[in-house]
Amino acid sequence: MSVSELKERHAVATETVNNLRDRLQQRRLQLLDTDVAKYSAAQGRSPVKFGATDLVCCRTLQGHTGKVYSLDWTPERNRIVSASQDGRLIVWNALTSQKTHAIKLPCAWVMTCAFSPNGQTVACGGLDSVCSIFSLSSTADKDGTVPVSRMLSGHRGYVSCCQYVPNEDARLITSSGDQTCVLWDVTTGLKTSVFGGEFQSGHTADVISVSISGSNPNWFISGSCDTTTRLWDTRAASRAVRTFHGHEGDVNTVKFFPDGNRFGTGSDDGTCRLYDIRTGHQLQVYQPHGDGENVPVTSIAFSASGRLLFAGYANNNACYVWDTLLGEIVLDLGELQDSHKNRISCLGMSADGSALCTGSWDSNLKIWAFGGHRRVI
Amino acid sequence: MMEAGSSNSSGQLSGRVVDTRGKHRIHAELKRLEQEARFLEEELEQLEKMDTASASCKEFLDSVESKPDPLLPETIGPVNATWDQWFEGPPEAKGCGCFIL
Repeated sequence: MSVSELKERHAVATETVNNLRDRLQQRRLQLLDTDVAKYSAAQGRSPVKFGATDLVCCRTLQGHTGKVYSLDWTPERNRIVSASQDGRLIVWNALTSQKTHAIKLPCAWVMTCAFSPNGQTVACGGLDSVCSIFSLSSTADKDGTVPVSRMLSGHRGYVSCCQYVPNEDARLITSSGDQTCVLWDVTTGLKTSVFGGEFQSGHTADVISVSISGSNPNWFISGSCDTTTRLWDTRAASRAVRTFHGHEGDVNTVKFFPDGNRFGTGSDDGTCRLYDIRTGHQLQVYQPHGDGENVPVTSIAFSASGRLLFAGYANNNACYVWDTLLGEIVLDLGELQDSHKNRISCLGMSADGSALCTGSWDSNLKIWAFGGHRRVI
Repeated sequence: MMEAGSSNSSGQLSGRVVDTRGKHRIHAELKRLEQEARFLEEELEQLEKMDTASASCKEFLDSVESKPDPLLPETIGPVNATWDQWFEGPPEAKGCGCFIL
C-alpha cells in the first residue's frame, strides 16, 4: 500500500473513531437520568453537620524544611512517610509525632513516596525517572544517607506517583510523565507489565496519579494530563478496561472509593468527580460555587464510609470537606484553628479511617481527627 | 530508515527516496486506530444493556450508609476503640520539633 493510500485510510479511521466517541458520549448522557446529589436529596438525606470543634488538628508534624509533596500511611501502626522539596523522606510515628527516619535522597527532586504493606521499606520517585526503594532497617550515615536497596529504572519520564500493591511487598505500580504506568517486581527490579506507551493504547499525555483497588488488587486507575482516567487490569496490560471522560483539564489525583466499586478524581478544571467502575457512569461532579477562576484540585481522600471527600486545592490553604451524597461542602479545614499556612499538596486517610493526614507547602504535615461527641446509630 | 536512493555530495537525498520510517509509523497508527474503533464498538454494545445512573446512585447510597465512619458526627457502629487514640495521652503532644537541616 502506498503512503498516500495509508494516509487516506488513516483519515477514515480517525473519523470513525471520532464518530464512535460522539455516539458513546450521547448514549452515556441519555443514561444519566440523575446524579448522586439529586437522588440522595429525593431519598430524604440531609447534609452532614459538623460542630465547630468536631474535626480538629490534633498533631502537627514539623521537620521538613521545604514543601511537602507526598505522604503515605502504613496499613497498620500509624506511621507515615513523607517526601519534600528539601530532598528528604521522613518517617513519622503519627501518634507520638516522633521522627524515626530522615532519609537524604540521592535525587532531591522527589514527587511521590509510598510505604510497603509490611512497613519495612519505602519507595519514592521523581524527576530522576527512577523509583528508588529504601529499607528502613538500613543504617543511615550521619548525613541521613541510606543506601538504595533497589532502583526501578526504565521510565522515560518523571515518576509522578507510586503505590505498592496491597498485601504484596514485592509489587509496586508507578505512573510517569512518559505516558505509561508500570507494574514492577521489586525483588528483581524488572518491569512485569507496561500499561500504555508506544506499542499499545493508553494515555496520550503525562500520567500524574495512580490508585490500586483495596478490594480487587488486580485493578488500578490512572489519571492523566490527557483529561481521562483509565481503569486497568494488571493481568491484561494491552488495553485499559475502561476510559472515563468528563474532566476538562489535567486529572491530578485519583482515589478508589472504600468499597472498590467507585472512584474519585480531582482535576485542574477545579472539580472532583465520582465514577462508577462497572457502568462507567459519572455519578457526581463536585464543583465549588463562586465566580472566580477554577482552582485546581491537588489531592483527594475518602473517609472510611465514603460519605466525606477531602479535597486540597492549589490556592491558600483550602481543604474542602465534601458531603459526597448531597454534593455540598460541609467544612473547610483551612478555616479551622491550627490550619496550614499554605496550599495542601497531598492527603491520606489512616487505615482505620480515624485520622486524615494533610501535607502542605508550608513544610508541615497535620493530623486531623474527630474530637467531638459522636452519635452512634 | 530510508530505502535506497541517490544522494548528492552534501548528503541530501533525492526525491526518489521513500521515508519508510514514516510509512511504518502511519501504518502502526492506523492499526491502533482500527483497534480503538473495535474497543469503542464493544463499549457501545455494552451501553445498550447498561442500567441508568439512578441504579448506580442507589448502590452508592447503600454502600456509604452501611459502613462505620470515625470522622462522622453520626455513624452506624460498631465503634472501634482505636478511633479516639488521637486524644489519649498528653494533650496536643508537642512531640519532636527538630528540623532536619
